[in-house]
Amino acid sequence: MRRSLPLAICLGMGILMMIQFFVPHPVSVAFYDLTTKWIRIVSAFALVLGVGSLILYHTDRLRRQRPGWAYSIVTLVALVVTAVIGLAWGVKPGSPLQEVLFKNMLVPLNASMFAILAFYMASAAYRAFRARTKEAALLLIAAFVVMLGMVPVGESLWHKLPEVAEWVLSVPNMAAKRAILFGVALGAIATSLKVILGIERGWLGGGKG
Amino acid sequence: MSFLERLLKIDRKIIFIVMAVLVLFPLLKPLGLGVSSGPRAKAVFDAVDAIPPGKTLLISVDFDPASMPELYPMLVALMRHAFARDVKVLLCGLWITGAGLADKAVTEIPPEYGKKYGEDVVYLGWKAGVDAVILGMGENIKNVFPVDYYGHPLDSLPMMNEVTRLRDIPFMVAISAGTPGFSDWLLYAQSRYGMRVGAGVTAVSAADAYPYLQSGQLTGLLAGMKGAAEYEVLVQRRGYSNVYMPAVAAMDSQSLAHIVIMVLVVIGNLAFFATRRKRR
Repeated sequence: MRRSLPLAICLGMGILMMIQFFVPHPVSVAFYDLTTKWIRIVSAFALVLGVGSLILYHTDRLRRQRPGWAYSIVTLVALVVTAVIGLAWGVKPGSPLQEVLFKNMLVPLNASMFAILAFYMASAAYRAFRARTKEAALLLIAAFVVMLGMVPVGESLWHKLPEVAEWVLSVPNMAAKRAILFGVALGAIATSLKVILGIERGWLGGGKG
Repeated sequence: MSFLERLLKIDRKIIFIVMAVLVLFPLLKPLGLGVSSGPRAKAVFDAVDAIPPGKTLLISVDFDPASMPELYPMLVALMRHAFARDVKVLLCGLWITGAGLADKAVTEIPPEYGKKYGEDVVYLGWKAGVDAVILGMGENIKNVFPVDYYGHPLDSLPMMNEVTRLRDIPFMVAISAGTPGFSDWLLYAQSRYGMRVGAGVTAVSAADAYPYLQSGQLTGLLAGMKGAAEYEVLVQRRGYSNVYMPAVAAMDSQSLAHIVIMVLVVIGNLAFFATRRKRR
């Protein structure tokens, strides 16, 4: 029962939503409206799972004194402090959550993390970006063309460079990208069908019954 | 150890210092390299320009403070363009970390054009459940957002009397730093409700958007800081704004940063091949 009921709901809803997409009848539209409300309610429960999983993972790290366990304390303290401030003073503009935590902590920390990336990228490119093979050399040339074509100095060097960079992005890059996207889409359709028909059952969590 | 071998083992701190100096220098003393506008940014500009005065432009703020330098100038330039043409602006977001950033724009930009909150601009805020939010907005925006970001009931805002669902909005721009982002708007708003969608993305994710441009699903694209700078130039060239252009100013720094990386890669390769030949 624990497995067959979710499988039956999945099969029923999967087929109904497929039919609904192609039928613009008022009953179908009302069903669709109701379903989107249910999705919003169900997705809110993901927060409970997420917070629970985060707490379990970090308390386990602390208990076993794994390398970097001190950072788990920071994570858990940040989680509790954010939740308490949010619950006590709300999340409206002007609240301590917005003014102290968001504007004065999250924004500068988040921006600093991203800014540091430029330095690591420069260092990593210097050490690792080598034209060891023909393919790597081709990648290197394409990267140079796109990098120069995307900044004003490239246009100053040669006025056609932005067009060449655009061509690299919209022809060879797009051909490869489209092939990958088609593959991903076909894979997603196949997996969805397997889930709806009950062939793929990994999402049930592997429980018995 | 030869000079080339020493070059291969250069301390990363030296690379960091060179990079920092060359990025900072143009910010203090602009080089004035100038930015020309490309066809992708022009397509977004033309789509916003074609919205009749009184109608609404939807902007989805799907980014966080990390991508703010690249994407926030796009948001500001789009709002200036819309307000200068008396187009109303409706904002929402799929990233919770973007909620405060959109609030900053809503607080700062409308007063420049004498626009009032509730009549010319409304900010819906953030809500959990990406696909359900977009699909729900397609049916009735008030069902998904009964109140706006500031807690005002949507029924009390005059602008929302004319905008009840996505089909009432002629064009939208999703400013995205990743997932969820423009692809979700394409998947649900564009394919299901036929909404015209433009995108503003970070430079690293621009390649992901190109297939949707050629297929016509995306109307136009603002790619990275260059895209933001191109839009700023277009807005200023048409006389819609004459204020400081942060993305244009930052392009000088980005030019030098790209050159530093390229020079480092060339030096690294020269040293690598020279020492390899020597080892043989």
